Amino acid sequence: MKMIRAIVRPDKTDVVAEALAQAGMPSLTKMHVFGRGRTKGIRIGDVVYDEFPKTLLLLVIEDEKLDEAISVILESAKTGTMGDGKIFVTEVEEAYTVSKGTKGL
Amino acid sequence: MKEIMTFIRRHKVPETKKAFEDAGYPALTIQSVEGRGKQGGIGGWAAEVDPELNAVMSAELSDDTKFNWIPKRLLTIVVQDDQVDEVVDVIIKANQTGHMGDGKIFVIPLKEVVRVRTGETGKDAVI
Repeated sequence: MKMIRAIVRPDKTDVVAEALAQAGMPSLTKMHVFGRGRTKGIRIGDVVYDEFPKTLLLLVIEDEKLDEAISVILESAKTGTMGDGKIFVTEVEEAYTVSKGTKGL
Repeated sequence: MKEIMTFIRRHKVPETKKAFEDAGYPALTIQSVEGRGKQGGIGGWAAEVDPELNAVMSAELSDDTKFNWIPKRLLTIVVQDDQVDEVVDVIIKANQTGHMGDGKIFVIPLKEVVRVRTGETGKDAVI
């Protein structure tokens, strides 16, 4: 299994979630985060914005769905300007469902 | 070292913390998150309090409110390789009600752990 952490624009959260649900991946978690990328924030006039509010979407999927999930997120979260976000993929060794006590997603 | 991420019900946090302490794992991180599982969050947050509402609410909610974000707590705990099974057991025992929405547990391998205060790395840095 793989864990995808996608940092997206907050207003794109529901768009991405809906697109993932359409693609058969309805389960995900969102959390509100603050951060910046390689532009180190932006300066508008006298005001410097060091960090921006973003949404971190976290989902765990089977290996064979990884490419599909990534392409869905890339398409739905894209606006074409700076700050669209990043996607990170990590390995997940085991998963358990608490209500049944079973192994697997 | 392994990182155990578990998504649980909000009101189960004190019980889970107590269970962790009793089992000898006092260190953990708690995050407030929102999410949904493969049922698409039917029942909404009300079903967190009373699981019976899952059936009632899913019948009443229309299609456009089908996708709900349900508030959950994300507990992150880092343990040694041979402690994973015990911790998973502790989490399941403390959180299992048998209804949907009890949560998920994910076990993630960690490459490196560093204790900031002393600079220790690897196994020594865990707890």
